[in-house]
Amino acid sequence: MSRVRYGAVALTLLALGACDRVKPKAPGTQPMATGDVQAAALASYVKPGDQDQYYLFYSGGHSGQVFVAGVPSMRHIFTIPVFTPSPGTGYGYDEASKAMLGDFTWGDVHHPAASKTAGDYDGRWLFVNDNANNRIARIDLRDLKTKQILGPIPNTMGNHGSSMVTDNTEYALVATRFSVPMGHEYAPIEEYATKYKGAISGIKVDPATGTMSLGWQIMTPPFNWDLGATGKGPSVDWAFWTSYNSERATGRLETSSTQKDRDYVAVVNWKAAEKAASAGGAGTVVVSDVRVIDPGKVPGVMYLLPCGKSPHGVDVDPSGEYVICSGKLQPTSTVFSFAKVQDAIARKSFTGSEDGIPVIKYEDAMVMEVPVGLGPLHTQFDGKGYAYTSLFVESAIAKWKLPPYPAGADPKSMVVDKIPVQFNVGHLVTAHGDTKHPKGDWLVSMNKMSKGRSIKTGPSIPESSQLIDITGGGKMRMVYEAYSEPEPHFAQLIHKDVLKNTIEYYPKSESHHKHAIWAASDAKVTRNAATRTVEGTVFAIRSYFEPGRIQVQEGDTVVLHITNAEQARDEIHGFGLVAFDKNIVIDPGETKTLKFVARKSGVYPYYCTNFCSALHQEMQGYLEVVPRGRRLAMYQNGEGVMRAPANARRSEHAQAARTADHQVAAAH
Amino acid sequence: MRATEFFTRVSRMRTPLLLVAALLLAAATMLPLWGMTLVSTQYPEGLRMVVYPTRIAGDLAEINVLNHYIGMTPISDSFFVELRFLRPALLALSAVLVVAAAVRQTRWVTSIPLAGMAALGAGGLGIMRYRLWQFGHQLDPQAAITIDPFTPPMIGLNQIAQFATYSYFSWGFFLPVAAGLLVALVVLADRRRVRPRVGRPVLAAA
Repeated sequence: MSRVRYGAVALTLLALGACDRVKPKAPGTQPMATGDVQAAALASYVKPGDQDQYYLFYSGGHSGQVFVAGVPSMRHIFTIPVFTPSPGTGYGYDEASKAMLGDFTWGDVHHPAASKTAGDYDGRWLFVNDNANNRIARIDLRDLKTKQILGPIPNTMGNHGSSMVTDNTEYALVATRFSVPMGHEYAPIEEYATKYKGAISGIKVDPATGTMSLGWQIMTPPFNWDLGATGKGPSVDWAFWTSYNSERATGRLETSSTQKDRDYVAVVNWKAAEKAASAGGAGTVVVSDVRVIDPGKVPGVMYLLPCGKSPHGVDVDPSGEYVICSGKLQPTSTVFSFAKVQDAIARKSFTGSEDGIPVIKYEDAMVMEVPVGLGPLHTQFDGKGYAYTSLFVESAIAKWKLPPYPAGADPKSMVVDKIPVQFNVGHLVTAHGDTKHPKGDWLVSMNKMSKGRSIKTGPSIPESSQLIDITGGGKMRMVYEAYSEPEPHFAQLIHKDVLKNTIEYYPKSESHHKHAIWAASDAKVTRNAATRTVEGTVFAIRSYFEPGRIQVQEGDTVVLHITNAEQARDEIHGFGLVAFDKNIVIDPGETKTLKFVARKSGVYPYYCTNFCSALHQEMQGYLEVVPRGRRLAMYQNGEGVMRAPANARRSEHAQAARTADHQVAAAH
Repeated sequence: MRATEFFTRVSRMRTPLLLVAALLLAAATMLPLWGMTLVSTQYPEGLRMVVYPTRIAGDLAEINVLNHYIGMTPISDSFFVELRFLRPALLALSAVLVVAAAVRQTRWVTSIPLAGMAALGAGGLGIMRYRLWQFGHQLDPQAAITIDPFTPPMIGLNQIAQFATYSYFSWGFFLPVAAGLLVALVVLADRRRVRPRVGRPVLAAA
């Protein structure tokens, strides 16, 4: 028997030894069934010649750009440069975009927000924030170009809670992430709790042109404002932001700001703020040229609503009645009723105040705490009564039911599905998910980590975005996975038909640029000897520049207005000036200005950088920088209009010039 | 129905018929006369050139940019002097037809617009044929691409380099042709109608 006993002991030991090779299975690691693979492939495959259904405008994070992908293919189609120069499109090299960028070379784009009419996307503009340098930019969706950069916004440090577009694009609302002393004053960090202030700003949008201007600001306690949402329907005049660090702590925030069980949601009546600002008067002051409202002194502008610990996102459902806030350090999403919030305000059911701002009683406004999972951040909607919340810690997306709930309903039973994502989802976006009418077909999970899902890229690991089909009644379905450069935060998923007015070239009839020229014979270079400046208009068309030779004197400041006279899509020309670190790219029908100083004598070729035609390689010219003291043969007495030297034979360009005169005259 | 009977009926309808012909000519001044569509892999939606009696429309800017590589003269309204005269000529003929319709006694007057229309048609086609030849043959010898001179066909499918071309006549051509046929019919009928016997009104002849 003892032999048997020894044998049993030995077997047990063997089994225990094997245990370190047993591990539980991670969610989402089960292989997809062949049928599911085929279905997913068909759902996301856009065959050559076909187009995607949706534009995914996803933020480029600290790349400072906006990426554009097509959905369902998830192909990255192009990038809109916003806060960072982009030689590929010449952005940041011509005078107009250089002026827009100012002295900054980067930005941190987090939250794109499309313009809306009556609560739905209208395809006019896209507003994006710069978390780093306190700016906000407007992209025109007619040509998908950055048209305006506003800022730095005063009293704002880290423009993170941006950009929240109101129902009819009256405002893009923004909030500062970091609190600092107002008006660029200095106060030691020890005085954080009292001298430091946060700010919520109303960026006014001109309804006709989209031009942004700073409307007003609300001074807030020194919480960290995180992210917001605008209301709709019954809450249309209101906006909401989450905060963390309502402890008003400094130092290591990881612990110092996570002591309280609740932080706040700001409940802001932007209509009331607008009114208070235009009335001026008591409770408002002008700091850094902006009317600042103290909501502790102007009643009705701002309230605070307690929410789960350290929340990140707050979102308003399509009806505008439910406000959902997720405390990222609590495993629940809290559903508030806007009607209840209004009722509490009317009854003055407050539990206290922060710097004079009333704090609404949590229980009065709350409908349910839905146990969605670990690390809930942001919520989007499908328009069919469901909400989708990203779970950062859990690496999953929870689908759960919105109210109305039956009496005594079990909160757990409201979560109807969960899908693992790879990995650590931050934002998620559904088609038209923040409008009054979500489409309810696609969801994109923008994950913060991809941890080796792609082929190896060295230690700079790309971000992953995953496409999830939410058309099914119950289950979400993983369809596709794509990678991007750093780093998508939020996105807007907009049906392509919304961008119906998008152009493919600039019509000549709309060109009002004062230096635009439409015939090669109008190309003209003029030198002012007194100011040592050369200014010229340059004509670009397949496959030549006119003039093909530009003469300047060493030390001259040179300004060239280059018109791409093409009227055909994709006939883009570049103007790269060799050894000058200059490249501008001019779209068909566009005029751009290049400015530089010809510091060193010599001959510098310029050439078309954007492949245009069979004779693209021949599209070139020479900049002659004549040494100081040497005669400029192409100008009379070194100034006036540049002309070909008398002995120069009739150039090919001159011939081509006549051809081009006919071309453009014929076109219109 | 015997031929003479038919012509008699036509002759009785001469006023409205001539007015319809006049109207067709006037309408033609606003309609495209002739066109050419060019299609290639990179222009799947096609490039169009449409000739109206007064102007040339379509994707001329792009067509001219492409044509300049082979040294073709740019296509433009101002180049074609004939486009300045075509509408006045059509309108003049239309006016003459109205006059002819009014003149009931001296019916040979109708032959004048008919002759004019025939001359305009023949002359127009001749000029057009010459222009097509001219554009395909008078190529700038310094052009980037040297090709054999050619004459784009006036009608039908053709291939020029990477482009499949389709040339066609349109309503601005068909309406005047129809007008010409109507007028010719009236002239013929005026000659062949059954002449009423002396003393009997025309309407009583049937």
